[in-house]
Amino acid sequence: MSTTLTLHPGTGWEAARRRAFLWGLLPSLAVLLAITLVPAAALLVASFTPLSLTDAAGTFRFDDPLVNYRHLLEDERFLRSIATQLKLSASSVALQLAVGLALALLLNGRSKLLRATRTAFLVPMVLPPIVVALIWKILYTPDVSPVHRALEAVGLPVRSLIANPDTALWAISLADTWQWFPFTMLMVLAALQMVPDEPLEAASLDGANRRQLFRYIVFPHIRPVLVVCGLFRLIDSFKAFPLIYVLTDGGPGTVTEVTNYYGFIQAFNFSYWGYASAIAMVILAGVFALSWLVGRLGWNDHDKR
Amino acid sequence: MTSANPTFSPPISTPIATHLPPPAPRTRAEPAGEPPLSGTRRAGWLRRHARGIAAVALLLVVMFPFLWLVQLAFKPGAEIFEDSLFFVPTLEGFRSLLQGNFLKSFWNSLAVSTLSTGLSLLIGVPAAYALTRWQFKWRRHVALWILVTRMAPPIAFTIPFFLAYRWLGLQDTVLGLAIVYLTFNLAIVIWLMQTFFEAVPTALEEAAYIDGCGVWQAFWRITLPLASPGLAATAVLCFIFAWNDFFYALILTRTNAITAPVAIVNFLQYEGWEWTKIAASGTLVMFPVVIFTVLVRTYLVRGLTAGGVKD
Repeated sequence: MSTTLTLHPGTGWEAARRRAFLWGLLPSLAVLLAITLVPAAALLVASFTPLSLTDAAGTFRFDDPLVNYRHLLEDERFLRSIATQLKLSASSVALQLAVGLALALLLNGRSKLLRATRTAFLVPMVLPPIVVALIWKILYTPDVSPVHRALEAVGLPVRSLIANPDTALWAISLADTWQWFPFTMLMVLAALQMVPDEPLEAASLDGANRRQLFRYIVFPHIRPVLVVCGLFRLIDSFKAFPLIYVLTDGGPGTVTEVTNYYGFIQAFNFSYWGYASAIAMVILAGVFALSWLVGRLGWNDHDKR
Repeated sequence: MTSANPTFSPPISTPIATHLPPPAPRTRAEPAGEPPLSGTRRAGWLRRHARGIAAVALLLVVMFPFLWLVQLAFKPGAEIFEDSLFFVPTLEGFRSLLQGNFLKSFWNSLAVSTLSTGLSLLIGVPAAYALTRWQFKWRRHVALWILVTRMAPPIAFTIPFFLAYRWLGLQDTVLGLAIVYLTFNLAIVIWLMQTFFEAVPTALEEAAYIDGCGVWQAFWRITLPLASPGLAATAVLCFIFAWNDFFYALILTRTNAITAPVAIVNFLQYEGWEWTKIAASGTLVMFPVVIFTVLVRTYLVRGLTAGGVKD
């Protein structure tokens, strides 16, 4: 894909071409700089100040730059939110990987029916997140939920899962899994099609059974994809918002208040922007660490083909 | 996967599915031996279609919550708390939406998504082309930076944008929201269009250069038309991502530029529990997305997994 042109040697064609490309690239870089790097820098600066709605003068006060970060370490609610975040992320990502992998193995066939089902299974992932939240709000609301009513009909009335502090987080995890298992399914399906035939044929001629084939030949091929999938979803799970906002609003109490949500509350309910910026910086650091891991695992190897 | 999409195109290599079934039936059928012919035939049919049956059954289970929302939207308000699935469908819910402010928020959603899609294509497509055809030293780093912007959590952007927009007077405007959506849409355009441009042979462009075309002239006349299916798919994806956003719209709009997802939440909070109306609004909001998904599903897959599978 290198396109070194030797058509116009010495006519400055290469230089002109480079200049043309530069002009194509520059607007994007400028816009991205303005809408991503500048806000990120502003966020970092704000996190060193006591900026809030009531203290507008605090915008450029840097007398105690680390005050917000010190508070974070003492803030029980923040520390709890991290634990909640980890519980939610780990459980929902693990479930997504399991369900996605199982479905991909089931649907990996050539029949028309299977192909059609594959498309239909994508629906949860493309639905607007707010509609997903709505769907689960209905399922978890005893008045209108078919599940609750069916349970009541057989004489087993159950309290709403999202109103119960013991189950609320798992209820959200379940909804999140429903929304995002298609992602793993898609990636694994794509990986399955790249599994070479020869070793499979050789092994089945040698009398390997289905489980052995999967364990020793198929699985090693899709394991990298599963790892990348898990990391991708882990990164995205830090952003989970609509589900929590609509289903529980962080409650009951604070049992479903993840870090992202806590940051949102600090910034836009209490207007402690400086403090919220520090929380956002922590999330950002986590996301970057994970992204770096994804990069290390060679997912973005456009050049090394 | 430079040209064909990985998941839905007929696989080049035979998938394992075709290898796996044969040994199993044989080993199982031989020791049994006794069942009458019709029995084995039925069992054989079942076994052959077991996958399909399981897939459809699972699909029904998975889709049930979704279908429940849709049927709720057509249920008469009086029967909403009854179990019967048999009712005379009504458009009551949709009608009450038309009378309220919902239509305006729907319109805002359309405007924001279209504007954001247009902007990101306009800025992003040339950049994607440059990144594909121009091998420069920092190329890899630039490409990675662009992708990482998509990973960043929205909360990190919302606080600075919220504060800046109060100054700039962009709060609660369609334009302001469309600009914020560039934070994720631009990365998508640049990343996706690269894969489509890579599929266009450079020989065609070189021929155009010989005929006296400049770089961008050749791009406009040769490369872009060849990549137009990819362009359309990218546009649809951008539209969907902007359409689906809730977080930015919740924070950066109040009344004037409120989008449909935020309007739904307002129903939930302020209008009590009018389930028919709420379900109807949800159905309306997801309608364009589902239509688009069906229209461009093969390309969609590539966008949703953007770069996830090694090319």
